[in-house]
Amino acid sequence: MKAKTKKKSRLQKFWDSVSLILASRVATVGSIMVLFWLVLAFISLFWTPYDYNASDFLQNLGPNPQNWLGTDHLGRDIFSRLMKGTQVVLLKTRLPGEGNIIIPGGVAIWGVIGSMALGVTMGLNAGYRGGWWDQVIMQILDALIAFPRIVLYLVVIAALGQGDLVVILAISITGAPGVARLARSLAMDIKTRDYIRAAETRGESVWYIMFKEILPNASGPLLVDGMLRVGYAIFAIGTLGFLGIGLPPPDPDWGNMVNEARRNIFSNQLAVIWPALAIATLVIGLNLFADGLREEMTRYQK
Amino acid sequence: MARFILRSIISTIVTMLLVSIALFVLIEVGSGDITVKILGVFATPEQRASYRAQLGLDAPVWQRYIDWLIGNDWRAKRKVGYPLVTATNPQTGEKDWYADVDGQLTRWKMEEGRLITLKRQEDGSVTSHLSSGAWKINEEGNEYFWGVDTKNNTVMWMRGEGAEVWALTKAGLRKEGDGPQKYIPLRKGLLRGDPGISLQYGRPVAVTLIPRIRNTLVLAGVAFAVIMPLALFLGILAGINEGKPLDRFISITSLGATATPEFVTGIFLILIFGIWLKWLPAVALFTSADAIFENPKLLALPVLTLTAVELGYIARMTRASMVEVMESDYIRTAIIKGMPKTRIILKHAIRNALMAPITIIMLHVNWLVGGLVVVEVIFGYPGLGYYIYKSAIFGDFNAIEAAAMVTVAIAIITRLLGDLAYTLLNPRIRYS
Repeated sequence: MKAKTKKKSRLQKFWDSVSLILASRVATVGSIMVLFWLVLAFISLFWTPYDYNASDFLQNLGPNPQNWLGTDHLGRDIFSRLMKGTQVVLLKTRLPGEGNIIIPGGVAIWGVIGSMALGVTMGLNAGYRGGWWDQVIMQILDALIAFPRIVLYLVVIAALGQGDLVVILAISITGAPGVARLARSLAMDIKTRDYIRAAETRGESVWYIMFKEILPNASGPLLVDGMLRVGYAIFAIGTLGFLGIGLPPPDPDWGNMVNEARRNIFSNQLAVIWPALAIATLVIGLNLFADGLREEMTRYQK
Repeated sequence: MARFILRSIISTIVTMLLVSIALFVLIEVGSGDITVKILGVFATPEQRASYRAQLGLDAPVWQRYIDWLIGNDWRAKRKVGYPLVTATNPQTGEKDWYADVDGQLTRWKMEEGRLITLKRQEDGSVTSHLSSGAWKINEEGNEYFWGVDTKNNTVMWMRGEGAEVWALTKAGLRKEGDGPQKYIPLRKGLLRGDPGISLQYGRPVAVTLIPRIRNTLVLAGVAFAVIMPLALFLGILAGINEGKPLDRFISITSLGATATPEFVTGIFLILIFGIWLKWLPAVALFTSADAIFENPKLLALPVLTLTAVELGYIARMTRASMVEVMESDYIRTAIIKGMPKTRIILKHAIRNALMAPITIIMLHVNWLVGGLVVVEVIFGYPGLGYYIYKSAIFGDFNAIEAAAMVTVAIAIITRLLGDLAYTLLNPRIRYS
């Protein structure tokens, strides 16, 4: 037992998680689908076949040697737009204000980080402190869960206007209750352990116990849940884009590409299919990945 | 049990109140100047201010929240001095407000500096005559009068100081003299069944909302009737064949269907059935209010889309529950005892396996509402979801608040029912 607690090197840890993924066929397929889009996103940082916003070609072309996936209703290359569209979702967030400040990490990623931070804070407080804290936090969560999330999106965005940060905020708020419930149940389980009693006896502060003692021991299920949530977030971003209130231009937004192409669906069906397929494959990939991972991890526990 | 129900109901009421306050504040903070949407961008600041006052938007937020929730006729009654009642307008079929002056339904209007009393007769016609001696005197010595005007507001006129107001007519804004100084737009409040006037349509929200709720209930009901048996059947089928190719196929397909956003599924279905095969109408074009009953084909694609999205989730739940039950001791005992497999599944496993999915479906109604918004937007289906979407885009706060509260109420009540159903179905659970 003692030999096992020796710290593993970082490479070894990485290899452990890779083999965990490879052990499940579902997770492997999922990670391939996600990696495909990640690679495309990275390539698009430096190179796209054509300018993604320039109307360089004839309108509504089918696939041909120049435009692999054809062109849209304004004569823009769909493949370039699809590649560029991956960035806002996975790789970059545009901050409002002068100077076009861009921070790394896509809108979906930050949205999930936001909901994790919010949810974990609420869940740990409810679960560890119990009593009134639990009552009040659960009541707030109940109200948040009862709120239909699409209404929340619509109202928040109608209220604050379009923008990457607004979408992140909307995703954070709607995702938080789910995370909080999970974190709460984990905290309630972990707080009965002896090492928590020991920390309490040592006189550690409540926040230290929650974030240094409980959180690391609850991180596994939370991470898998977060992975699933990235899928939901992309789903939500696509839906918002489709409703015309998603990520603002100039960067192409997949959902909005579907929405625009939908109006020309009788003349150019492929323009609708490509972005729709892109969203579907990325979300399904993330779902498969998280699902397979969870299956493998619970198998470990058994 | 009684205590548990009581606690759930109290918690439900608190939740609804919290949600309504949150919604109200959110819309208050966010929605910019609604007059931009109604009057257009070229209206002058005076016109906007006048119109905002007519909408009652110059009152403080808490006041408007209370008005919205429980109405303001009781507040206005004190100003007018007579009970305020509603009567049906024979022309529009909608309710008009009147002051009940000794049994006579009365309104007032101001013309050329003179106050005119309008009395509603039994048959709905109106007689008008000059009112005299109605003016009261305030501390500064000005003559004023609180009454009900012809636009369902309680208003205050000042004698000889008719304010210039901008009235919105079909032809645009019109400047009117003799205007009131203060407005209280009368409403009964949401709790008393009056969510106010829709700014988008200019008619009461209740009148515009109810047909849409009906349309959505039809859509959701048909979808539910299709999804439930199919999903439970597929879930059970996958669950008893765990690990076999059939299970793999059902599981992966349902995961794929659930993970595909509604609008993607909807677009694909439109392409296949509406454009390539031309079997079904690609949009739900309503040519009359009862179009769904006259031409049920309109429902086909929206229902199919909802089915594709919701089916997978419920099927996966059922499968997981079925697998768990099939691994339990009493099923193993039955197998060892030599009972026929069909009998074990039908008699012993299914009942226990269905408990979890049925309660989870109740919790899932919230997701269904989200799906409905998207599906209704794709197909142009005039239901609750499309109504919320259009109201949110317009900033029609009365309409969003009413429609959102309907969805919240549905979500919370179904959850309460789900909790109760679970306690009834599973006697092992005891709530304290």
